[in-house]
Amino acid sequence: MYPFWEVPGFTSALFIALIASFHILPSHLATGAFWFNVFIEQKALKENRPDFLEFIRKYTLLILIFCFVYGSITGVGIWFSATIASPRSLSSLIHNYVWGWATEWVFFVIEIVAIYVYYYTLGKIDVKAHLRIGWIYAWAAWISMIIITGILAFMLSGGKWLVTGGFFDGFFNDTYWPQLFLRTALMCGIAGMYAIIAAGRLEKPETREAIVRLASVWGAIGTLLTVLMSVWFVVKMPQAAKDLGLGAGLPYLKHLLYVAAGGFGAVFLYFLLGISVPKVPGTYSGILMIAVLFAGIFATEGFREGVRRPYIINGYMYGNQIVASDVPGKGIKAELASMKENGFLSSLYFLPDEAKKSSDAGRLAAGRMIALHQCGNCHSFEKNARLRSLPVFLDRIGMTAEEDIAVFLDALEGYAYMPPFAGTDDDKQAAAAWLASICK
Amino acid sequence: MELSQYLSMMRDPAGVPFYPIVFQVLMVLTFCLHILVVNIVVGGSFLALWMRLKGTAESLRLSAALARSNTVGVSVAMVLGVAPLLFVQVIYDPFWYTANTMSAYWALGFLLAIAVAFTCAYIFYLKKDKEKGSNPVWAALSLAGLLVSAFIIHGLSVEQLYPQKWKDWIVAGDSVITHGKGLYLIEPARLLHFIVPSFAVTGVYLMLYAWFFKERKDYQPSYLRFVGELGAKLALYFTVAQVVVGFWWLLTLPHDLFFLSNPFLLLGAGAGLGLLGLLMTSQKDPSENAIKCAIGVLVTVFLMSYAREALRMVYVAKVGYSIFDYKLAVDWGSAVLFFGTFIGGLVVMAYPVLVAVNLARNGSDKNHPHGLGRLAAALPVLWFVLVAGLGIIISLKNGTLF
Ligand code: HEC
Ligand code: HEM
Repeated sequence: MYPFWEVPGFTSALFIALIASFHILPSHLATGAFWFNVFIEQKALKENRPDFLEFIRKYTLLILIFCFVYGSITGVGIWFSATIASPRSLSSLIHNYVWGWATEWVFFVIEIVAIYVYYYTLGKIDVKAHLRIGWIYAWAAWISMIIITGILAFMLSGGKWLVTGGFFDGFFNDTYWPQLFLRTALMCGIAGMYAIIAAGRLEKPETREAIVRLASVWGAIGTLLTVLMSVWFVVKMPQAAKDLGLGAGLPYLKHLLYVAAGGFGAVFLYFLLGISVPKVPGTYSGILMIAVLFAGIFATEGFREGVRRPYIINGYMYGNQIVASDVPGKGIKAELASMKENGFLSSLYFLPDEAKKSSDAGRLAAGRMIALHQCGNCHSFEKNARLRSLPVFLDRIGMTAEEDIAVFLDALEGYAYMPPFAGTDDDKQAAAAWLASICK
Repeated sequence: MELSQYLSMMRDPAGVPFYPIVFQVLMVLTFCLHILVVNIVVGGSFLALWMRLKGTAESLRLSAALARSNTVGVSVAMVLGVAPLLFVQVIYDPFWYTANTMSAYWALGFLLAIAVAFTCAYIFYLKKDKEKGSNPVWAALSLAGLLVSAFIIHGLSVEQLYPQKWKDWIVAGDSVITHGKGLYLIEPARLLHFIVPSFAVTGVYLMLYAWFFKERKDYQPSYLRFVGELGAKLALYFTVAQVVVGFWWLLTLPHDLFFLSNPFLLLGAGAGLGLLGLLMTSQKDPSENAIKCAIGVLVTVFLMSYAREALRMVYVAKVGYSIFDYKLAVDWGSAVLFFGTFIGGLVVMAYPVLVAVNLARNGSDKNHPHGLGRLAAALPVLWFVLVAGLGIIISLKNGTLF
C-alpha cells in the first residue's frame, strides 16, 4: 500500500468531493456553452443582429476565465486530490484508460487553441470562418465529455470488463448512455444559466431580453431533460446500488435525491420566469441560481459516489483500495483472500519497527496502520469529526470495548456498504485494540 | 519488505496497456513542450513586470503584449502538463504516488499557486490603465505564483528519485507520518537548471516576435529592434548562465550514477554549446536569426528533456526498477483510438493556429485557408460518428444499451 494521507476530522475523500463537485460547473459550462454560442452567432448572421456579437464577446470571456482558469485547475485538481487520497484506484483507472485520457487530452488542446483564436478573432476574420471555429470548439468540448463519461461510468458499472478486462467493454457499460445524455442535458442547463449571467451585463435592454429569453429556453429544456435522464440513469444502475440508494441501505442517499430534485426544480422555475418575463433574470439572480444549481449537483454527485459503496471501482476495487475480485482477462488476482491468509501487514512497506513487535504497544502501532488503511478512506478517527467519526459510530452501536470491536470487524461482511475486513485474526485483534483506544 | 519488493508490488496489477517505450517517448516529448511553454511564461512574466517598471513607451508596449501572451501561455503550459502527468503515472506509478501522498498538502499547494499565478496574470492583463499600464503588483504576484509552483513540482519530482530515503522521511520510531505536510527534498542546482533557461528561451521568443511582426505597418522598426536586441541579449547571457548551472548540477549528482558519460547528456550538452555559439553570432541581427535560434532551442530542450529521463532511469535502476519489465497487456483498440485521434487532432489544430498566425502577421484575413477549415470542422463530426457507431455495436453486443 502507498503511504496514507490523513486529514483529521475531515477525511481526504471530502477533499476530492468538494473539488470534483466544483469542477462540474466549469467543465459542463466548457462543454455546453459553445452550442449556445454558435446558435446565437448563427442567429446574429441570419437575422443581421450585430448587437448579439457583444453578448458573444462577454460570454466567451466568461468561459475563458471561468473554464480555462478555474475549470482546468480544478480538473487537474481532481486528479491530484485522487492521487493523494486514493492512489491505487487512480492508478487502476489510468492503467486501463490511459489511451482514453490521452485521446481526451487531444481534444483539450484543440479546445484551448480554438477558444483563444475564437475570442481574439471575433469581428476580425471572415464571419463564416469565425463561426466554423466556434463549431470546432463546440464539438471538441462535447467529445471530451463523451470520453470522460465512459471512464466515470466505468467506476459505477464495470460490466463485462470485470471478466474480459477489455477497454471498450468497460467503457460502453450499463450506465454509459444514460450518463452521457444526462450530462449533455445538464450542460445545456448550466450554459443557459451562465448565458443569463453574461447577458445581464449587456447595455441594450432589447438585446439583453432577447438573449435571456433564448438562454432560458435552453436552460429549461436542459433541466427538464436532466431530470428525465436521471430517472433513466437510476433505472439502469446496478441492483446493489439501487438497494443502497433507494432501498433501506443508506437513508441519507435518498435525502440527497430530494435536495437534487429541489435544486433542479427551483432552477427550472427560474428559467420559466426568464421565458415569460425576460426583464427579471440578470447577473445577480443568475449567480444566486448557480449556487442553487450547485447544491443540486453536489447532491447528485454525492448520490452517484454513495451508491458505489463499498467499492471505488464497482465490483473490482473496494473503497479502501483493496482489489476485491479477479479479472481473468487481465490476469488480476483478488487480494482479499491472500490478505486474510498472510495478514494485512505484509502489504505495508511503510511500517514502524514497533508494529512488528508483539508487545502491547506494538499491537497498537500495528492496529493503527491497519485501521488507517482499511477504514481511513471513508472514516475519520476523531471524536469531533465532520465526516463519519469512528469513535462516535462505535459508541452509537455500543461497541467500544476491544472484544466487541473485534466481533464487529467480523460482522463487516454483512454490511452492504462496507468492505469486509482484510486480515488475519491477529490483525483483527490489533485493529480492535487500537480502535478501542481511540474510543476512550 | 524490501524496497524493490515494494516497488514491484505497487505497480498496477493490470500492467501497462502498451509498450513502455512508447509511453516514455510520449512523456518526454510532451514534457519538452510543457517545459518550453513554462519557460516562456516564467520569463514572460518576469519581463512583463520589468518592462512595466521601466516605464518607457516601448517597454510599456512590450509589457502589455507579454501580459496577453502570459494568460494564453499559462493555459497552454497547463494543458501540456497534463500529458506527462498522465504518462508518468503509467510507467513510474510507484514513485509518483508515493511522493505525492507523502507531500500531499504540497501537491494541493501546487495547484493553489497556479491558481494565484493565473488569476493575477489575468488581472494584470485585463485591468489596464490607458496611461500608466497595469498595476505591477499583479505581475509580481503572478511571477511569484509561478515560481512557487515550480519549486513544489520540482520537490515532488526529486523526492521520487531517492526511494532509499522514503522510509527515513515518514517512518519515525513507533509511527508513520500521515499528515502530508512535509516536502522532503529540494535540489537547488536542478531547480535552477529549469528556471534559468526561462530567460534564455524567452529571449529567443522576443527575437521571434521581432521577426514575426516585421511586415506589420503598426509595428515601428525601432520598437521591433528594441525587442529583438533585448531578446538576443537575454538569450545569450542566460544561456551562458545555464552552462554554469548545468555543470554545477552535474557536480552535485551522486557519483555512483556515472551520469557524466551518459550519451543523452552528452548530446544535450553539445546542443547547448552549439546554441551558445549560434546566439553569439546572432547578436547583430536578432530578427534575421530568430528562426535558426528557435530551432536550436527546440533541439536543445528536447535533448535535455531526454537526458532528464535518462537520469531518472539511472536513479531508479539503482533500486532495481526498470520500466521495461512492467507487465505488458497490450490493448490495440484503445491505442489505435488515441493515435488516430492524435493525427487527426493535429490537422484540426492547424486550422485555427494558421488563421491566427495569418491575421497577426498580416493584420488582415486574406488568403483564408477555407479548404483546411472545412476539413478541420468535419473531422470531429467524423470522429463522433465512428465512435458512437462503435459504441452502439459494442453496447448491443454486450446488452448494455437498454
Ligand atoms: C467504503 C467506505 C467505508 C469503509 C472502507 C469503511 N466504512 Fe464504515 N461506514 C461507511 C459508511 C458509508 C457508513 C454509514 C454511514 C452512515 O450511516 O451515515 C459506515 C458506518 C460504519 C459504522 C456504523 C455502523 C452502523 O451499524 O451504524 C461503523 C462502526 C463503521 N462504519 C466502522 C468501520 C470500520 C471499523 C472500518 C474499517 C475496518 C470501516 N467502517 C470501513 C463506509 C465505510
Ligand atoms: C504553470 C506553472 C508550472 C510551472 C512553473 C511548472 C514547472 C515545472 C518544472 C520546473 C518541472 C521540472 C521539475 C524537475 O524535474 O525538477 C516540471 C515538471 C512537470 N510538470 Fe510542470 N509546471 C507548471 C504547471 C504544471 C501543471 C499544471 C501540470 C499538470 C497538469 C504540470 C505537470 C508536470 C509534470 C507531470 C512534470 C514532470 C514530473 C516528473 O517527471 O516527475 N506542470 N514542471
